[in-house]
Amino acid sequence: MKMFRRALVALGLAGLIAAVLRARGSGGVPPQDGGWRELSGPEFE
Amino acid sequence: MRFAVIGVGAVGTRLARQLVSTPGVERVVLRDEREARVEAVVASLGERATIDRRGYDDPVDVDVAVLAGPAGTHVQSARSFLSRGIAVVSVTDAVGDVRGLLALDAEARERGVPVVVGAGFAPGLTCVLARHAAAQFDQVDEIHVAKAGTGGPACARQHHAALGGQAVDWRDGAWVNRAGGSGRELCWFPDPIGGQDCYRAALPDSLLLAPAFTGVQRVTARVAASRRDRLTGRLPMLWPTHPEGGPGAIRVEVRGRRGQAKAIVVFGAMDRPAVAAGAVGAVAAIEAASGHLVADGAAGLASMVEPVRFLAALRDRGVRGAAFAG
Repeated sequence: MKMFRRALVALGLAGLIAAVLRARGSGGVPPQDGGWRELSGPEFE
Repeated sequence: MRFAVIGVGAVGTRLARQLVSTPGVERVVLRDEREARVEAVVASLGERATIDRRGYDDPVDVDVAVLAGPAGTHVQSARSFLSRGIAVVSVTDAVGDVRGLLALDAEARERGVPVVVGAGFAPGLTCVLARHAAAQFDQVDEIHVAKAGTGGPACARQHHAALGGQAVDWRDGAWVNRAGGSGRELCWFPDPIGGQDCYRAALPDSLLLAPAFTGVQRVTARVAASRRDRLTGRLPMLWPTHPEGGPGAIRVEVRGRRGQAKAIVVFGAMDRPAVAAGAVGAVAAIEAASGHLVADGAAGLASMVEPVRFLAALRDRGVRGAAFAG
């Protein structure tokens, strides 16, 4: 019974942590170099 | 050149404004079931714009009919105009409409009348940018489209419904349905939109792009959404839509081969979606009326227009593409 309760607590904690990470996680890393520039010049020839 | 604009919502209004301000356009006929709305729009557009109070599908004496009405009405209207020999440009972003319009291909070819499908921001400008990027490859292997933001209320409702629908991906020569709201991917749009979490959704871009690129292996489309959007995507809209939407962006990533080398090209654009969609629809309609489309039948802009010419025309109207250089 004690083991069962511990397993339930562990599962609950894991779920809580996963939910927090899913709700607050940034989802990725921004590009470290480069950037956007306007299409122009040779790209229109 | 004479045009009919069917539906004067956020996109239709801007599209009509683009048309009446174009040299060579004689007349723009506007139809909408909302009397007060269409009267106000016509009053703001000047003498080249007129109201036509007949039904959406009734005959009209024009060169091109531009369909900018509610999702679900485009196929019936297109069939009606096509049967009268009138070219059709649809700005729809609904999967059902796009499937129905593409199914008119044989009839459009037989009659020699073009049906341009998905001539908005996304699909629309996304298709043109994909075609433009493809010129840099010997073989296009993958195309991945993402969009952020919405135009008017109809676009917002479509965005909401798309997240609760079935995404249609092209994968290894077959269509694959995936659950809307799945497949989170962080996509980087042109500034100031920046990074947005994007998800699969019921978007028609793959249906238009896959047939346009021979040998392409994967075509996907995603939409930027918040976690709240994902959660409520399968429910009715719980809050009112913004009348004009906010700033939005598109991103088109094309992967392919140049000789033996693999390469990636990323194009995009940032604008108010309704403004950009109006400009794209207007340029597409003018290309159709002036006989500059490069293909027959019913298809998306990736198949129907010459991209450099189209993008230059958009640039003259203030809609500018961007390239990611990294």
